Amino acid sequence: MPIVYAGFILLLVSFGAAVMSLEILSSNLMSPYFGGSIYIWGSIISSFMVHFSVGYVLGGWLSRRFPRISVLAAFLVVCSIWVLMIPVIYQPVCESISEHIADVRLGSLAAMNVIFLVPISIMAMVSPYIIGIIAAWQRQSGLTAGMILFISTVGSFAGTNATAFYLISLFPVSRIIIGVGVICLAVSLLVLLLRIDRRIRILGANNCS
Amino acid sequence: MTGQTKIAIIFLFLLGFFTATRAMAAPGGQILYESDSIYHHITIRQEGMERCMIFGRQRDLRQTCLDLEKPDASVFEYTAMMFAGFLFRPEAKSVCLIGLGGGYIPTVFRMHLPQVRLHSVEVDPLVEKLAAKYFGFSVPAGQSLSIDDGRQFLKKSKGRYDQIWLDAFNSDYIPAHLATKEFLTLARSRLTDGGIVIQNLFCGNRLYDAQIATMRSVFAKVFVFEGQKSGSCIIVASDRPAADPEGLRKQAQRLGGRIGRIDLFAEIAKCRVTAAVKKAPILTDDYNPANLLLMQKN
Repeated sequence: MPIVYAGFILLLVSFGAAVMSLEILSSNLMSPYFGGSIYIWGSIISSFMVHFSVGYVLGGWLSRRFPRISVLAAFLVVCSIWVLMIPVIYQPVCESISEHIADVRLGSLAAMNVIFLVPISIMAMVSPYIIGIIAAWQRQSGLTAGMILFISTVGSFAGTNATAFYLISLFPVSRIIIGVGVICLAVSLLVLLLRIDRRIRILGANNCS
Repeated sequence: MTGQTKIAIIFLFLLGFFTATRAMAAPGGQILYESDSIYHHITIRQEGMERCMIFGRQRDLRQTCLDLEKPDASVFEYTAMMFAGFLFRPEAKSVCLIGLGGGYIPTVFRMHLPQVRLHSVEVDPLVEKLAAKYFGFSVPAGQSLSIDDGRQFLKKSKGRYDQIWLDAFNSDYIPAHLATKEFLTLARSRLTDGGIVIQNLFCGNRLYDAQIATMRSVFAKVFVFEGQKSGSCIIVASDRPAADPEGLRKQAQRLGGRIGRIDLFAEIAKCRVTAAVKKAPILTDDYNPANLLLMQKN
């Protein structure tokens, strides 16, 4: 059982941190192309809110359909690979969008969605997915939905401050993003290796019938 | 001493303390305007005949100050130093100014350099309105103005300029995306043959070293004018080895030694051909620890 909890906590903390680290870094990706105004932050925050909503709905629905951590982890692997690609794709994406859309508000909103819709929506699936699994697992778990959100938010707190206060001063943005991607990939693969689904019994979920 | 007297003394002491701190916090002068734009908290304050535009809450971060009786007098040292650019490109016909503030620089162009086409770029529409209302700024024939981010403007602009003046500041410092190698490369591509970029900045921090290093990574020649009365420095960057101090003196003579009230010979004395800077990172869009470097002394 401790391994199950450790797996959950690892997922919640690392993806909670990754989401906010990327949110902070995205302003550095946007400002060369769309300026450094409050508009950029409006686009960043509103885009992330949309991605969160998509992830919450999708995560909740998928966890009912497939209450298995391996399914979530497979999505997270895809998301991590996408994050690793961001340093390569963001320049051509921002370049071509800023050429086609003159309004920096619309332009930055479009660029944020092209670059971040997929990875952030998948990252936002983590909390509702784990809540869904715990609900299906019924009373055997001591974790409440509130506790899940608490752990994920602690991760977000750490990710925000570590990035804004320290990482951005120490490393190039592209290297920080690759670092985030590598951590996400490692955590996803580790959680797959932990075989958490075998350790929890959910009626009718883990057998093939 | 009775208890009541003690309380009265403590009360009076505290009252005196608060009055003193309040007096220190609010400097003299009259506030003519105070509000928030989408970019900054903007205050316009007048003291005697000097009227200043201030960004942010720090009272010493004055963007523009204007002497109401002598609107072409350079209240700040740096604005006079920037006009030393004309010693490098005296025949300049077109200049692009990024960062309008109260519009002191366009005023000097209007009064003393009417033959030069000046295009000013200001990101904040409110700054332009306030410059017009409180600093007598207007766009005369021969000058033009765009409300746009400096980098976006240069990117979209098809124009070429003999001089590009970089004077964009927000309430912290120079916006990070206007201080990188990529931005300077863009600015360089918008220069006419032998054109120059002039950057206003502060010298007493490590960011200054990094900005010099960044300029040197883009331009073949980088000159620095170090302020004598202030912590301001001006970088003049060019691809052509434009002039040595002796050549600058000749140019100043040719220009009559002055542009309006600005004494060009006094500015030449501040020129350093090779600026003494410590090893510093080149700022790029990817790696730009401007906030950290700004806080470190050089």
